[in-house]
Amino acid sequence: MGIHPTPILAWDDLEVGAEAPAVSHQLGRTDLVRYAGASGDYNPMHTDEVAAQAAGLPSVFGHGMFSMGLLGRALTDWAGPGNLTNYKVRFTKQTWPDETLTTTVVVTAKRDEDGRRLVDVDASLANQDGEVKVTGSATVIAA
Amino acid sequence: MAVERDDVVGRPTGATTVHVERGPVTAFARAVTDGNPVYADLEAATAAGFDAIPAPPTFTFGSLGWGAFTEDQPEDPTGGSNPMGEIMGGLMAQGGLILHGEQEFTYHRPVVVGDTLHHEGEVVDLYTKESGDRTMTFLVIENRFTDDDGAPVVTERFNLIHRS
Repeated sequence: MGIHPTPILAWDDLEVGAEAPAVSHQLGRTDLVRYAGASGDYNPMHTDEVAAQAAGLPSVFGHGMFSMGLLGRALTDWAGPGNLTNYKVRFTKQTWPDETLTTTVVVTAKRDEDGRRLVDVDASLANQDGEVKVTGSATVIAA
Repeated sequence: MAVERDDVVGRPTGATTVHVERGPVTAFARAVTDGNPVYADLEAATAAGFDAIPAPPTFTFGSLGWGAFTEDQPEDPTGGSNPMGEIMGGLMAQGGLILHGEQEFTYHRPVVVGDTLHHEGEVVDLYTKESGDRTMTFLVIENRFTDDDGAPVVTERFNLIHRS
């Protein structure tokens, strides 16, 4: 089965320090419910405002894996779906409804490995005040 | 700590046969705001070089709930006692909070619709750190997904942190 997609990043044009186009998204409560349904994570801290406030939180908060998914979209918008070899994050802060979350993806290295042209990036997600929610790194395949 | 590291590292957390279906893949892409047509449209997927619709990068993490059909599940390797539940449940009985601290995916090849993935989870580490007057307990789990030929597809590694 042909399952390896065509790489779309032009290796020769990439330089360390180059940035992928940013993705921005204002987090809504519907996003939390939709992600709960699609992932199966119905933790009430993400879906039930009454339960979240009873637990002492100001409101429901976003799934960490939604943040990772949004940041992953910035990676695949840029490098093409299927062109990742590794993607890892640390969840540093919770996300809250009405925050605007924006991705930053920066090239840190280019290397040839087993005949593949690989590009290492740092990847992070922050809100409108620059508070970092997720920080991590990834390796993508270039052409 | 109630559970010692040496007693828990290497213990299985579960085994699952996961069917990757088109509807859940497309719904998952929408749920992470990803409108890329390759996740919904076979022609777009083909144009990108795939033979089938691919899954977004973080899909497998939630796939166990969607794709595990009852009729072809492997035997439960935990013997009915999942160390994740034992350790985190034991700690939560004394109060505190559980956080998802880190998540890593290593992709051996893309996951595509039509794949049958064979998942095995295992505890790979357990340690504590003191932070002020709190104890942080870190439980590290690896989830390995292989295909019908036994070839690796995705390896996930993540930690759960209990904060006392």
